[in-house]
Amino acid sequence: MSHFGRSRIFTAAAALCLLPMAAVAQQQERKQMPLPQDQLKQAKSLPTPKTADGHPDLSGLWNGLGDPLVGSRNQLSNAGIEVAADSTEDIYTNTDIATFPPDSKRRNSSDGERANTLLRRMGSNKPIYKPEYWARVQNFDANSNEDDPAYHCMAAGVPRIGVASQIGQSPTRLILIYPGQGGLLATQTTYRVVPTDGRKHTPLDDLDPTWNGEAIGHWEGDTMVIDTIGFNSSTFLDQVGGYFHSENMHVVERLHRDGNTLTWQATIDDPDVLLKPWTTNKRVVLLNPDPGAVLPESMPCSERDFAHAVTKEHH
Amino acid sequence: MPTKARIIQMLLVTAVAALALRTADTWGNEVKETAVRTSAIATPEPKPADVPDARAALAAAADALGMLRTAGLGGGRTPRLDVINTMEFWASGTPFADYHVVLAYNPPGMRVELTNPNGNPQHAIEVVNGKYAWNESEVGGGLISGKGTATPDMATADVRLLRLWILPYGVIKAGLAAGDRAKVSTENGATVVTFPLTGQLAAVTVKATIDDKNFITKVETQGPGNLSTETEYSDYADRGEIPTDVQFPGHIVRKQGGKTVVDLTVKKADGNNPYVIIPVPDNVMNASAK
Repeated sequence: MSHFGRSRIFTAAAALCLLPMAAVAQQQERKQMPLPQDQLKQAKSLPTPKTADGHPDLSGLWNGLGDPLVGSRNQLSNAGIEVAADSTEDIYTNTDIATFPPDSKRRNSSDGERANTLLRRMGSNKPIYKPEYWARVQNFDANSNEDDPAYHCMAAGVPRIGVASQIGQSPTRLILIYPGQGGLLATQTTYRVVPTDGRKHTPLDDLDPTWNGEAIGHWEGDTMVIDTIGFNSSTFLDQVGGYFHSENMHVVERLHRDGNTLTWQATIDDPDVLLKPWTTNKRVVLLNPDPGAVLPESMPCSERDFAHAVTKEHH
Repeated sequence: MPTKARIIQMLLVTAVAALALRTADTWGNEVKETAVRTSAIATPEPKPADVPDARAALAAAADALGMLRTAGLGGGRTPRLDVINTMEFWASGTPFADYHVVLAYNPPGMRVELTNPNGNPQHAIEVVNGKYAWNESEVGGGLISGKGTATPDMATADVRLLRLWILPYGVIKAGLAAGDRAKVSTENGATVVTFPLTGQLAAVTVKATIDDKNFITKVETQGPGNLSTETEYSDYADRGEIPTDVQFPGHIVRKQGGKTVVDLTVKKADGNNPYVIIPVPDNVMNASAK
């Protein structure tokens, strides 16, 4: 046997010896990973840093976990249902949802996709449209593959873009950055510059309507309130539901930092189409504790799938 | 080289032993984790073959209907949830030429738009939201001043709400919510689950018959006045334009005193939690307060 052959056997044997150790280490790591609820509680209990002007410091890289579980919780929370690891309720009405442990049944991808679709629509917190628009909402929802502008790489817009992933803060403005996330929260990387210098809105008639509108922020105690008008009507309010709006929409977002958590909630008033203002469920994100962390570059949105769609199934 | 060969042999034996130990440890941990997760939820894994309790029978029925689903989210930790909240279906038959329903379980409400060529009136929109019941002149009538009317009809609230809970999905939700008060038995080889409703329908007892495919085939209710009902369901299928795997009966027969009073064929059903809202008009709420 050549020296090369023997050393390969030695290497293989040594690797085999190390394999179990690596697997055990992985297992330990998995076991030690705390549940999101614990992480949220711990992050919330930390002191809230303040800026020199005495306001809470909102700056940082948020959604720090960046993992699908927390991301999913937030997405689903916005639709009105909170899914935790071991308990479930409709957080709008506090109604318990019948819950059973995961089973071992093998599931194909279409089952998972359809389950996700149902889950995202099951929450009870829905915008209350005027009756003449009920059928239109249903129609937009059923035909989102064609009708949802964001499915065609258009901007998701406010409020659908939700919480910014990175915030920069100065005494006179906030810089909000939203990375594109494959069509779930925003289809393209986008940013907002929000003046907080006490200025007033431009009269609506003088504004060119845009996807993100004209945003102006102010502090109400320790809560940053971002007031936005001047929208075009080319976006939906959420990623499911077919929730369209008019150019007369007015969005008020509230951002509150507790320790290393940031809570976001938006109230949408659109008297042209809604019977009354709609307040979304809260989204809570965590600060990325790594001071060296940077936002990854998002892939450009390039629609290639719809030509191959054979049903109206969609999230 | 005998020494090197022995070393190689020993290393290989060690590796195999370590792998075996690790596998056993992992399996043990998986079992422990499963036990922890299960005890945290405090609900048994339903085993339809055993049919040991009403909860298991109802869970099996929910599975058959496509109500209990696992989202492909959360690294597999997401439990199976009852994913049904809102629905819409269109039917026709006797005596209704058209029977269009939108419904929501959370909060519970239902709007039934029916056309009965021999009825008086021939067209009606009957709505219920919890304890509130009213009739609309057009869909959403009375919500906006000058656009249709909503006529309070509180006396019918219980009967209308019962229609919601005797649908197969309502039976499962209400049965699971009944907890220990839901009982299971066997009648003529079929599984039967009985339980009381709650809230404004607390005087009503439900008896649901479940076939060997775990589909609810018959729902009987016992209650005061016209809250005693009998409804049969058959021909289950996914009837949505957008596939959801949620099964909906294609044939609904309601009987009274053994005689068929309603016989409907379902043309289409949307089980994809469509946009359904049933706001109570101000005048209906005010009428209730008086």
